[in-house]
Amino acid sequence: MIRGGRNYVSSPPVFSNDSKRLLVCAGNSVAVFSTDTGLQVASLDGHAALVTAVIVVPASTPGSKILCFCWTASLDGTIRYWDFAVPEMIRSVDIKLPVHSMVIPSLFNHLVEKSEKAVKSFAYICVEAKEEAEDRAKGLFQVRKCNLTDARLVGGAVLAEMKKPEIITMSSCGELLGVRRKRKLDIWKVPSTDSGRTVLKKITLHHTKALTVIAFHPTERILAAGDATGRIMIWRGFGNKTFAMANGHVNGSSMITDEENPGVRGSDDAESCTTWHWHPAQVNLLSFSSDGAYLLSGGKEGVLVVWQVDTGKKKFLPRIGSPLLHFTDSPDPSFSSISCADNQIHLVRRPSMEILKSISGIKLPYSHPEISKGMSSGVSFDQNAGLVALRTESYAVQLYSLFDDRGISEVQVYERNHQPVDEVTIVVTSVVLSLDGSMLCTSEVRLPEDGLGHLVCLKFWFSKSKAGDFSLSTIVYEPHRDAGISAIVFHPNRRMAVSSSFGGDFKIWTSNSGVPMKEESQPNSGWICHAVGSYKKKPMTAAAFSPDGSVLAVAAETVITLWDPDKNLLVAVIGEAIMPIVALSFVGNSDHLVSASWGSKPQLAVWSLLNLSTCWSYRLHVEAIASSPDSSSFAALVLLSDSGGVYDPNEKSHKTVDGLILLFNSAEPNPVAVWSVKKAKGGALAFIRNQSSDEESSSDQQQAAQTLFAYMNADHEYVLFDPHGTEAEELSVTRWKSQSSPEESGQVGYASLYGELLPPIPSRKHTPWSVPSFPTERPWETIFSGPSHNLPPLTLLCGPFLEALFEKRTAVEE
Amino acid sequence: MAQTEQTTTAISTTFKVKPKLQSKPRNPSKTLESKYWSSFKSTRIENLVSSIPSIEFSPKSTGRGVFAAANSASLTFFSAQDFSTVSTISCSDVVTSCSFRSDGALIAAADLTGQIRVFTTKSRTPLRRLRSHTRPVRFVQYPSLDKLHLVSGGDDAIVKYWDVGAEAVLHNFQGHKDYVRCGDCSPVDAGTFLTGSYDHTVKLWDVKADNNGKKPVLEVNHGKPVEDVMFLPSGLMFATAGGNSVKLWDLTGGGRLVHSMESHNKTVTSLCLGVIGKEGGEEASQYRILSVGLDGYMKVFDYAKMKITHSMRFPAPLISIAISPDGNTRAIGTSNGSIFAGKRKVKKDDDDMEQDAEYGVLKGLGNGEEAQRRLQRVVRPGSFRYFQRGQGEKAKEGDYLVARGKKVKLAEHDKLLKKFRHKEALVAVLGKKDPENVVAVMEELVARRKLIKCVMNLEVEGELGLLMGFLHKYATVPRHSRLLMGLTRKVLELRADDIRASEGLKLCVRNLKRSVDEEIRIQQSLQEMQGIISPLLRIASRR
Repeated sequence: MIRGGRNYVSSPPVFSNDSKRLLVCAGNSVAVFSTDTGLQVASLDGHAALVTAVIVVPASTPGSKILCFCWTASLDGTIRYWDFAVPEMIRSVDIKLPVHSMVIPSLFNHLVEKSEKAVKSFAYICVEAKEEAEDRAKGLFQVRKCNLTDARLVGGAVLAEMKKPEIITMSSCGELLGVRRKRKLDIWKVPSTDSGRTVLKKITLHHTKALTVIAFHPTERILAAGDATGRIMIWRGFGNKTFAMANGHVNGSSMITDEENPGVRGSDDAESCTTWHWHPAQVNLLSFSSDGAYLLSGGKEGVLVVWQVDTGKKKFLPRIGSPLLHFTDSPDPSFSSISCADNQIHLVRRPSMEILKSISGIKLPYSHPEISKGMSSGVSFDQNAGLVALRTESYAVQLYSLFDDRGISEVQVYERNHQPVDEVTIVVTSVVLSLDGSMLCTSEVRLPEDGLGHLVCLKFWFSKSKAGDFSLSTIVYEPHRDAGISAIVFHPNRRMAVSSSFGGDFKIWTSNSGVPMKEESQPNSGWICHAVGSYKKKPMTAAAFSPDGSVLAVAAETVITLWDPDKNLLVAVIGEAIMPIVALSFVGNSDHLVSASWGSKPQLAVWSLLNLSTCWSYRLHVEAIASSPDSSSFAALVLLSDSGGVYDPNEKSHKTVDGLILLFNSAEPNPVAVWSVKKAKGGALAFIRNQSSDEESSSDQQQAAQTLFAYMNADHEYVLFDPHGTEAEELSVTRWKSQSSPEESGQVGYASLYGELLPPIPSRKHTPWSVPSFPTERPWETIFSGPSHNLPPLTLLCGPFLEALFEKRTAVEE
Repeated sequence: MAQTEQTTTAISTTFKVKPKLQSKPRNPSKTLESKYWSSFKSTRIENLVSSIPSIEFSPKSTGRGVFAAANSASLTFFSAQDFSTVSTISCSDVVTSCSFRSDGALIAAADLTGQIRVFTTKSRTPLRRLRSHTRPVRFVQYPSLDKLHLVSGGDDAIVKYWDVGAEAVLHNFQGHKDYVRCGDCSPVDAGTFLTGSYDHTVKLWDVKADNNGKKPVLEVNHGKPVEDVMFLPSGLMFATAGGNSVKLWDLTGGGRLVHSMESHNKTVTSLCLGVIGKEGGEEASQYRILSVGLDGYMKVFDYAKMKITHSMRFPAPLISIAISPDGNTRAIGTSNGSIFAGKRKVKKDDDDMEQDAEYGVLKGLGNGEEAQRRLQRVVRPGSFRYFQRGQGEKAKEGDYLVARGKKVKLAEHDKLLKKFRHKEALVAVLGKKDPENVVAVMEELVARRKLIKCVMNLEVEGELGLLMGFLHKYATVPRHSRLLMGLTRKVLELRADDIRASEGLKLCVRNLKRSVDEEIRIQQSLQEMQGIISPLLRIASRR
């Protein structure tokens, strides 16, 4: 089982002491990257939920720089201590509460005065408090203190409570802690000798807007905070009154007047507050340089701004191309890292602000206006090479290797500079890879401004080498006039593609006039329209080729039309689904066709091509279908509602929808296997040919192991496993399930129901019904059959007779 | 934003605004050869009295290029450089054929009265008058290797061989049974010539033969009335034109038909020999047969590959063609009294450059002293040149060359768009007169949601007028109409008050209205046509 596609930018990364490695929180593990090559060198696996914080134990002496120890905190309620050079876990502290943020000031404290070895280390953590009912009333999240040496929470020391999990920020020498709470900042001073009993002194600073990020000056008492409107506040000399007092806290705020402390609000304990404003939108990152001369800030617009702290002068590193999230300094002053929202971490050379290396993870899903009601999720799998093609926000397509868990290349679909702040006006609507991965087809839509300039564009790409670099072959402007494209499918073994549109027609595109792909022909011969077809002017909502490419199935809303793609002849019509069909797929080497329809009465139906009728159907909302290329099984990703019933797309109560993957043998309606998954909405499924070398060597394994099953969830995290696996592999599947959905196991518990019927699925229809309509060859023969005295009057017969003479075939050869 | 310019380390590259791609024909028609033939910039010489049955270029040896065109009762000389009329010779009747002597000093002209006159080309004085044909003479020619004799043929079906000086017929060749319309003298043998006649035959005559012209040496049947006949440069093959076809014959093989080219739609009227390729270059110059016909097409035929390599259409029936001896000027006569004269743009090509280079080398060798002096001029510290030393150095053979990143060349509108000065970008590109770019900028503005705002902000005086002018010109172009028609409506809606106030803009709107009306008419007639055709297609698809 292979997992991957994790988010690298959920939490700030950390450099190791020698700056040779970068520790990145990636899902349930910590990925260790080499800063020289930008490649992953190790992974700290063990946490059972999202890792939220990683802290490298700093080197106290120059000699100890090679030491590689770190603390990690996770939502599974454990804090772990690792040696990441080996890598192995040394200790685990279980505090039973999900940790959202953690700082350990004492690590940095005994840098300064390393007096006694036996100092207890305390961590300050932001945890989700859910054990007591009364806490829930006050606020869900608490900042607490944790004794790491004794592995327990310090009782009664709840520093703050809030509604949302917040990042705890620590000054570089570990003596100050800060937490933002909406429009307020809480700042604590950590005593140099910390113990469980010590009460921390606290001040609060106020602002009129919601604060987003804070940073402490490394040497002076200066605090910078960014807010949601893009302003940066600089408080100087904060806490002079409170923290300077030797003992107790005297409320000295009565002495402070506005004249003395310009810009400071109310009774806040600070000398002055200045505001810098450059960012047009929310500030996401703030960081002082290690000497304190500069302040770096960044936000949604993707420009890193370097402020001179004393003068407020600016320098820019523009066009990073994605919102900036985190900034991390390395112990080596010559470079640092920027985390971007598109799952990339850039290593930046410091004084010159050049980008040295980029660590790029899988592109994250992004929000864009919904163009079509169809199922094109913008994810396409290359079954042979194990690649997946994903849309990115910067109008490109990323090709990502599932086996290697790294990006292969990016194809710029639309040549335009992406500005992260701009409204999305150009959307890459679909990405389709051909079966052998040598061709790519993309479609994009430019949204109109006030009804002007709507444009649909279809682009065909070909790859010259196996490396996944595609170059443009053909652009088709407005392939179906101004109607949107509902589906694009490639012919399994020829240079042929079909695009179907909501405008009521589909087009068959060919390149090299249908020469088999094996023969090496000149690659830059363009694609031309081979034929156009339509069925009763109905919107064409889905399309699929049969595995041998001889039959093309196109869904015209509720009916499925079968075509001969070469001659463009309507072969047969299979009717009639209840709601418009959104996805079609032929099932491997069987005579079945699967369709999925959405709407108020969603349906998963299997049709037999032999007698042109339904075999069986379920009332399920299917998010994705994948059929195995060489067996008669297919898988469907089914969305479940909260109550365990049928998912209703209209209810928007929850943002993550749980789902089930059902593996069917197409002949029978009982699922062969069931897996439950999280974040299923927007997920994708595929059968991938296994290409790992150890599988190849053991050739005596059964044939089913050659194909792996891939599931990618809404956050583009994916897992590869063997669907027909042996006992051990099934165990690993359940293990993965328990990792991905720990609190769900009691709720659903489908794993115990392998091979059995699904009780919660209602309204199963077993009765196949016959086809309501398919073209008869000679209808006039039946009209006049029978004795003449039984025939209806000629005036009644005239209509049907003439109708029979009319053209039934709607295909037009071009 | 000034600082944004200085950083070149940005991650995302700068993209230019690109116009939509134009669709290209599947097979690129521009081969090297068709590029050559279409490089003749065609000019039309008009206002000649009647059809041009014959055009002749003066031979190469006579300095400035001149060509003569027979035109009604006169023979007009044109300059091959600028196609201006140089001089005119008036004859008594309609001139049918003319021929320069090989040295270009004399020209013979045949007319409908049956006489042939010989003029000097310089002073245009008539020297000789050859009278023997009883019917109109259709063909006269000086043999290319002979200055003393003439060959002529006419409607009396007799081919005559003249001694020009004595104004006497040396031989009468009788054998044709119908009008003799054409002929050609062998390029390799002074006494041999071909004649073609309306009796479908082409006959080869030899003055030196024993039977004294009673019988032709060779005879081939073209199958159609022969309009033109031509020897190929080797003298061993010849081409005949008649009906819709051009046929190639092998003389050494006893008049064997080699190839028949039938791509003209109407009668082929004239043939001529064209040269392609550089003279004296590595690729030896290749000969082509150029044929023109009444269908208005000029076709270029490669008789080595037996293939038509270029085809070109003129808007009139063509009846004569000639190419200058250097191959750089082409003249085609039509039946309606105009000449399509074309001249190739001769580049100051490589030979000249080579020559220059050679000259330079010679100079370098000669001026060894100066080179030495240059070597001695070592740059010393303290001068400005010292800091620049070595910067102009070229990379040596084995050096590893660090390629400089390609710089994207940005047009003015790209730069303005980069600075988010949208309206100025639109105005800048409107001033550039390239509709493709204008539409591309408009599309980019749509993507930025700024087009409407730009239209609102345009100044009434110049800028709005510029936009209206553009819309008037291109709103009905099918490629852009989907965007531009909508934009036109929007502009009229948004700026109605400004347009009403300005007289110039009102004029623009009136023009616009006219072009839209025109477009509607076109659409209607197209729909009518579709209505006629679609039932036919329906029936055809049923088969």
